[in-house]
Parts: sequence; C-alpha cells; structure tokens
Amino acid sequence: MSQTRTIMIECLRYDPEQDQAPHYRTYEVPFTDEMSVLEGLQYIKDHLDGSLTFRWSCRMAICGSCGCMVNHQPILSCQSFLRDYYPARIRVEPLEHFPIVKDLVIDQSDFLGKLESVTPYLVPAQPLTPEDGPNLQTPRQIEDYLGYAQCINCLLCYAACPQYGLNNEFTGPAALALLARYNADSRDAGQKTRMEVVNAEEGVWGCTLVGLCSEVCPKHVDPARAINRNKINSTQDYFLRFLAPFGRGS
Amino acid sequence: MTPAPKTYVRPMNRWWMRHPAYRRYLLREGTSVMVAAYALFLLAGMVCLVLGEAAFNLWRGFLQSPVSVIFHLAALAAFAFHAWTWFKVMPLTTPPIRFRGRSVPDRMIFRAALWAWGIASLILLVLAMRFL
Ligand code: SF4
Ligand code: FES
Repeated sequence: MSQTRTIMIECLRYDPEQDQAPHYRTYEVPFTDEMSVLEGLQYIKDHLDGSLTFRWSCRMAICGSCGCMVNHQPILSCQSFLRDYYPARIRVEPLEHFPIVKDLVIDQSDFLGKLESVTPYLVPAQPLTPEDGPNLQTPRQIEDYLGYAQCINCLLCYAACPQYGLNNEFTGPAALALLARYNADSRDAGQKTRMEVVNAEEGVWGCTLVGLCSEVCPKHVDPARAINRNKINSTQDYFLRFLAPFGRGS
Repeated sequence: MTPAPKTYVRPMNRWWMRHPAYRRYLLREGTSVMVAAYALFLLAGMVCLVLGEAAFNLWRGFLQSPVSVIFHLAALAAFAFHAWTWFKVMPLTTPPIRFRGRSVPDRMIFRAALWAWGIASLILLVLAMRFL
C-alpha cells in the first residue's frame, strides 16, 4: 500500500434549482498513488459531499462518460492520476463548450444530433441479406478506417475545439471523424448522402485547424486529420459540379 | 432527445487564455497578416513601376531605408514561422500517401517539405545574386 497524501480538488458546482451561475468548492482529498481523478471525485461524493454529480461507468477509458476539464485540459478522469498533479491543487470543471446540467454533468444532446446527421452506419450499394455471405475486406481496406473507428464519443475533442465553442453549428471533430470513418469503408456506398454535411459551412469548412482535438483524443482518432482530408474531397466535389453539371444528379 | 431543463452555458470570453495551444494557433494565423502586408508592399512596387521611372526609383530608394530593413527582417521571421507551422500541419491535409504499401509517416512529409523549401530558397538566392 503506497503512502497517503492530501490533494486539494477545486470543483465546479452548479445546481440548476438553486444557482444562477456556477461557483467553485474546494475539497481536501486523501489519495494514494494508484488513485485516478475519478476516484478522487468518488471520494468526495462518498465522504465529503454526497450531492456532487458526475458521470462515469467503465473506469477503464472505454465508455467515454467520465470526460471533464482538469486545469483547462480535457481529460478522461478515469485515465488521469492525482499523483501527476500533486502537490499542485487541481481544478475540475465540466467539459468546456457544452451546457452544464449539474456540477460536472453536461448536456450532450447537441452532439447526439450531429452524430445522427453524418449517417454513422454502413450504407451498402445494394441491399444485402445474410444469404449474400460475409462482406470481406483486406487488411489494407480495414487499415483505411480502423483509426477513425476507435471513437468512444467522450467529447474531449469538442471541449478542445474553440470553433465549436464559438459557434456550435459546427458539426465538430468526432462527428466529422466518424463521417470519414464510414466514407473510408470499402463496404460503404453512402458518400453521396454524407457530402452535404461535409460541404456545409458548418461541415469541414468550420474547422481552422487549431489541432487540439487530435492532441486530447484518448483513442488517437485524429479528428483534425479526418476533417482536413475531407476538405480536399469537398473542394473536388465543388469543382466537379461545374465540370459535370448534368451528370451528377442525386 | 429533449434538452435538460435549466442548463448553464459558459461564456467564451478570453478563450485564448485557456490553453497554450490556442495561443500558438492565433500566432500561426496572425503571421499571415504579415504575409498579406508583404504582398501589398510588392504590389506597391508594381504600381510604382507602372507609374514610371521616378516612382519606381523612389520605391527602390525606400528599400534601403532602415524602416524597410526592419520590415523585411520582421517579414522574414513571420514567413519562416508561418511556413514552419504550415509544414507541421501539412501531413494532416494531404491525402494518405503510400510508399511500397506502407503509409508515409508524418515526419517524412514534414522533412520533405523543409528540404523543398530550403532548395527553392537556395536556387532563388543564387539566381538573385547572379542577375541583380
Ligand atoms: S474523436 Fe477522440 S476525443 Fe473525440 S469523442 Fe471520439 S474518442 Fe473522444
Ligand atoms: S469511466 Fe468509462 S471512460 Fe472513464
């Protein structure tokens, strides 16, 4: 058992039934080396203040529900350790750029709408039935999209994106990365339906390559790359429409 | 999905203070102002050329003034930073490049761009020294 130390956790609090605006409360939390920020929050909830509200589930960087800001950096709280911040105090806030529901809990409905808008599933060229057998891919074809397929919808990338914060019409990193994921899949024929989202001002062109989304992504999805590669497709699409105005009826 | 009842939306004022990556980004974009300023300066030279010899000599004379030297040094620094940061993000904007079945790593693209930049600058410098 490693030795116990005490860290100060300053936590944003907001109770929609009582508060006009959020405020901060500081807690003294004893911790050991193997304790994550999430476990620090759980300590507060269990021993200091049962009203503290936050989301979590898997505790192993898989479910994507425990994202929050620690010292202005979007992180998964189950994957970040208190020992790495000690002796400094830490400031825990809900993910930036989303409306706060209560304490560290944010309202993700805007993202869920965007996720739906990118047709995040395979659209086969012709309808397939189980009798058609497996839809085979080569390792190289899998490689084309596997990286983008790792997204756990944790929204750290949205919290890192000032463009989304300034204008939440922007489709945003994770949704556009998933769009790229399905477009890059050899079994998919839905590029055309997704192109409208890509081409929109709020699509890939809403991105100015700040690049922090890719840095904070715990799954190395690299949304900045997905978005900026799609700028090429969007440009091609734009010019091709002039070249073949009658040939590309949808 | 119905939105939660009474949510709180935090303001975005002074957002660039929140993360060093935001300030780096603004600096990168800010240097393009200098790039534009230099383009205008060259354009002014062209206009002088059209206006006649006297105007063009005036513009050339200005090139030698200390103000112009400082402007050029500042422009050089801004261009170098802009190019460097642009090359850094360039691999994100290129389509996947494969060589012998393997995708080319980002740092190779970055290095290739730096070499191309260096060689192009060298050729320009040699030409300028020979003919000017
Ligand atoms: S792209 Fe990365 S940071 Fe964004 S939601 Fe997916 S896993 Fe999280
Ligand atoms: S608790 Fe599931 S990702 Fe952190």
